[in-house]
Amino acid sequence: MKLARPATLLTVGLMALALGGAGCNKNPQKTTNIPGFGPGITDDKNSTPTGTVLPPTGGIGPGAGVSTIPINTDGSIPVGSKDLSTYRENRTEFRDQTVYFEFDKATIPPSEISKLEEVVRRMKSMPTKGIKVEGHCDERGTEEYNRTLGDRRALSIREWLAGHGMSAEMIATISFGEDKPADSGHNDAAYKKNRRGELILLSPPGSN
Amino acid sequence: MKSIFVSILCAAALLTSAPALRAGEKLVISKPYDSLGFLEPILVHITGLTGEADNVLKSDLIFMGVVHKPLAEAKYLINAGATGARAEARVLEAVTKGLMHQAAFTADSQRAAVHALADSIATKLTGLPGIAQTRMTFKVETGPARGEIYISDYDGFGAFAVTSDQTIVASPGWAGRGTLVYASYKLGNPYIFSHVLSTGNRAPVAKHAGNNYSPAVSPDGRRVAMILNKNGSPNLYVANIDGSGLLQLTHSREGDACPCWSPDGQSICYASRAGGATALRVISAGGGSPRVLRTTFAPSPTEPDWSPDGKWIAFTSLTGGFKIFIVLAAGGEAHEVAQGEDPSWAPNSRALMFCSGPDHGKHLSLLDVPTKTVKSVARILESNSQPSWAK
Repeated sequence: MKLARPATLLTVGLMALALGGAGCNKNPQKTTNIPGFGPGITDDKNSTPTGTVLPPTGGIGPGAGVSTIPINTDGSIPVGSKDLSTYRENRTEFRDQTVYFEFDKATIPPSEISKLEEVVRRMKSMPTKGIKVEGHCDERGTEEYNRTLGDRRALSIREWLAGHGMSAEMIATISFGEDKPADSGHNDAAYKKNRRGELILLSPPGSN
Repeated sequence: MKSIFVSILCAAALLTSAPALRAGEKLVISKPYDSLGFLEPILVHITGLTGEADNVLKSDLIFMGVVHKPLAEAKYLINAGATGARAEARVLEAVTKGLMHQAAFTADSQRAAVHALADSIATKLTGLPGIAQTRMTFKVETGPARGEIYISDYDGFGAFAVTSDQTIVASPGWAGRGTLVYASYKLGNPYIFSHVLSTGNRAPVAKHAGNNYSPAVSPDGRRVAMILNKNGSPNLYVANIDGSGLLQLTHSREGDACPCWSPDGQSICYASRAGGATALRVISAGGGSPRVLRTTFAPSPTEPDWSPDGKWIAFTSLTGGFKIFIVLAAGGEAHEVAQGEDPSWAPNSRALMFCSGPDHGKHLSLLDVPTKTVKSVARILESNSQPSWAK
């Protein structure tokens, strides 16, 4: 059972606040390396974070930017309790940041990382907004296997974003398996376009 | 559900007209058809029917291990007749002309009566449960990222839609004969519902935050195995069919998929990506450590389905296209039986329903596993997949 260790109950958002925010010197909270996450989080309070550190995102009520989602020891992050289903979808904002995967893989290829860095950079200026990640597959796996694979792909993107400053609470995921191909062809060129994670900008109801 | 009113005429008086088998004598078929241990097909010669009735009887019997052959090869003679919604037959031993079996059925239609007749004959000759009057549920694609759950007779006839969700639906299965369980994206995220066919009442089985999918109902219809990502990875869970008593069974980060139940309800077989290479695993339905099920010669196994007699697990292998294999439930050497995917066992543990074809152009087929006889099933709209045979 992958119970969360107490130290990892902290969110990345809180860590970002502790490490990069104002008044953090008074914060006695010890931070801890989280397996599977990038640089920027260490247990040395004097070190300088080297990864992308963002201000906390808002919109989740008291303690904005502070997620209470426990991070599992294997780096996976449980689904949050925040309901983002009423948020408005903008499918064009991150259209060029669609992440493409290798066949039957859910790890983010190094060549795709810069797209996610761009997403994190732009999300800095939109602290009240969230992201929905859609996981998709090509048709070469079986239908339900692909639902799991698409799920894992979307979760991998969520974990990367949360590991680089976004609040996990503000990132929803959904798997469409092979049900929504970007290219309906039955060839390698189509398959390459279909193994993907799409990022959709979410705006709270009533906001611009 | 259309009920079939069946009258069995098997009067003892009729049996006296020929030197029948002695009462209680059992048909013993000991010679295995091949190394897999299935029964050799029983060869019969059928007379007396024409047109649809003839086709239906012969086709039904193939998938129950009874095959129509020229008179010289037949071990049994079947003298059948069909008039209106009534069908009847006498089964004679070919050499002695001894009366083996006699039956007549009246149903809602001639087709239904012939199905009942086929079951009666096959059950008598093979000792296996009849399948000709069973039904299946499956997914019909109605447009891009849109589909509905359907039910039809096992041969594809009499199909009707159960849902009108106009969204992605998936993984229909039976909880007894009167309730379906499936996943639907109707509310946005995929959630799992139970659906009582007689009332249309739909209730959530799993509506947890995140994604809920790939339901598989236990053989007693009371529990559901499924994949949830609520704890951060796609993992295997079980719950009661009303959603209570949720238990997480697996914890792999890479993810688990496609569960099915052993016929005794004690174990769950599923595909796991744990450790990098996809493999089938078996875990106790009450929790514990999974064991890897070896599927030698069949890479990337997914979509397992456990035969009702407990002996076999059929699954899909991705090896230059989809192929269906079967492996003994203890694991070992896997045997290729057809090109296609997503197999579902018939109640007789001999036939399989499966689908084949490219995405958006899939169709269902019946397979008699030991003889590898395949027959396409009538297709609804453009793409049919994920068959589940009512047991």
